[in-house]
Amino acid sequence: MSGQPDLGRADLVSMLAELTASPADQVPDRLGSMELAWLVHMVEQRYDTRLDLSDDQLAGVRTVDDALAVFRGSLTAPADG
Amino acid sequence: MDDILFTGRDTDVCLRLPEPVDKGTLRRLVGEAQDRLAEAGLRAGGAAALRLPPSLAYVAHLLATWRTGAQAVLLDHRLTDHEVDQALRRLGPQVVVAPVRSGGGALRIFVDVTAGVSAYSDRPAGSPHAVIQLSSGSTGPSKVIGRTAADLVAEVHRYTRIDGVALPGERIILLPSMVHVLGLVGGLLYGLHAGVELCPPERLSGDAILAAVAAQDTPATVLGVPFHIGMLASTTPAGPLPQLRRMTTGGELVPAAVANAFTDRYGVPLGNMYGMTEVGVIGTDLYGRHRPAITPAPGIEVRERDGELWVSCPANPYVGPADPTRWADGWLHTRDAGVVDPDTGLVTVKGRLDSQVSVGGLKVDLTEVEATVAGLPGVTAAVVVWDDGITAYVQADGSLTEETLDKLIAERLAGFKRPRTLRLLDQMPRTTTGKLVRSVPALRDAAS
Repeated sequence: MSGQPDLGRADLVSMLAELTASPADQVPDRLGSMELAWLVHMVEQRYDTRLDLSDDQLAGVRTVDDALAVFRGSLTAPADG
Repeated sequence: MDDILFTGRDTDVCLRLPEPVDKGTLRRLVGEAQDRLAEAGLRAGGAAALRLPPSLAYVAHLLATWRTGAQAVLLDHRLTDHEVDQALRRLGPQVVVAPVRSGGGALRIFVDVTAGVSAYSDRPAGSPHAVIQLSSGSTGPSKVIGRTAADLVAEVHRYTRIDGVALPGERIILLPSMVHVLGLVGGLLYGLHAGVELCPPERLSGDAILAAVAAQDTPATVLGVPFHIGMLASTTPAGPLPQLRRMTTGGELVPAAVANAFTDRYGVPLGNMYGMTEVGVIGTDLYGRHRPAITPAPGIEVRERDGELWVSCPANPYVGPADPTRWADGWLHTRDAGVVDPDTGLVTVKGRLDSQVSVGGLKVDLTEVEATVAGLPGVTAAVVVWDDGITAYVQADGSLTEETLDKLIAERLAGFKRPRTLRLLDQMPRTTTGKLVRSVPALRDAAS
């Protein structure tokens, strides 16, 4: 996959709002491992792709903004081969 | 133990990781683990603390501990060093088993682990239980819950009498951690006993769960918690999945919209289970016919007393003296609000009567979180509430920043217990008599 993905912060916030069934403006900025797994899953469903993220990349994600940066990096990385 | 868990032929597959592990291989691994545990000082009547993520190493060392005639203390691998040190000091196991190498941890359900065994003490186990589990405590430290071998065997047999569980020759797509009761007894022990293959997906995602279902031709039951229902309900299957028989979840109430989204998409029953660490499975509705009510499991009685559910539990499940408000005279006081229908016996759980919440199926007592936050250096007062997630309001002295506070909490509390939202206040709202205000709207106002 190449080019800039149309994934924005609001998309992630809305995915988290779906998880907790709460309004988007009440979604906490901090992510636990469950929220992070949910976001990876939802982004994979949206783009019909698998995000190849290292343990280090995932371990560094603490907030929605961290997740956005990691996901955008993975979505714009050239596919192997 | 061999008669219950090591039944079947050596060539029978018991785990798929995804490489098949047969019973012969598992027996060999358990024998090797027994040797390592003995070398490190584990003896019959002692205890081994297992601080391992779900892994083949965990399974081998758990079974090896029991074959030694020792007690297994199960420590969730997500607990911090601080939490583990507290537990070890309290329980004094003879040995501690922990990873010396672990590969591919993030998003993994089953981890590739090399375990190391180290000596810890030379004391015998503090109680006659076969397994010790920690549950987030309402008084600060974790509750220590013990279950005897006979109690675990009785629960395994209970599963064999429940209509709608995976049958011999079938598969369980295992999502919950085998350190906690649903994955431990409903997954691992029942699977080994009944000849049901345990198949954890390669990673935690909707696609990976469906891939695990599709990987074999035999019927598959997905065992998970409500979080996993949402995951599957939002996954588009690549094709038909004739192997999928059912999804069964425990852990917390499932919102009707989530349940409907799942059944619309997959057209198979969504079963519900109610259980507790103290007694295991209490009741089920595996065909989804009575949602949200459940039928008590065979041999389990449930009563309603003053709006609280009491469950038959012959022996005190807590290590140490019984707390009569939690267990007395053969009855466990669940602290779950609920009703029992006098005509049908169906039990409906209405929610908690105390400060316990469920995070992805894991129980967290807000009192433990609050006591930890309030005890941090630089914190003068703290209130922790559930507000669409664990939320901490903190009054600090001096220059404690949110970042420092977050770091201090991360040293002391496992990730699933940590507040998702931290609010630093100059002054906590208090009542006229000086007590901390706990009302969520008042706390929100004070923070805005």
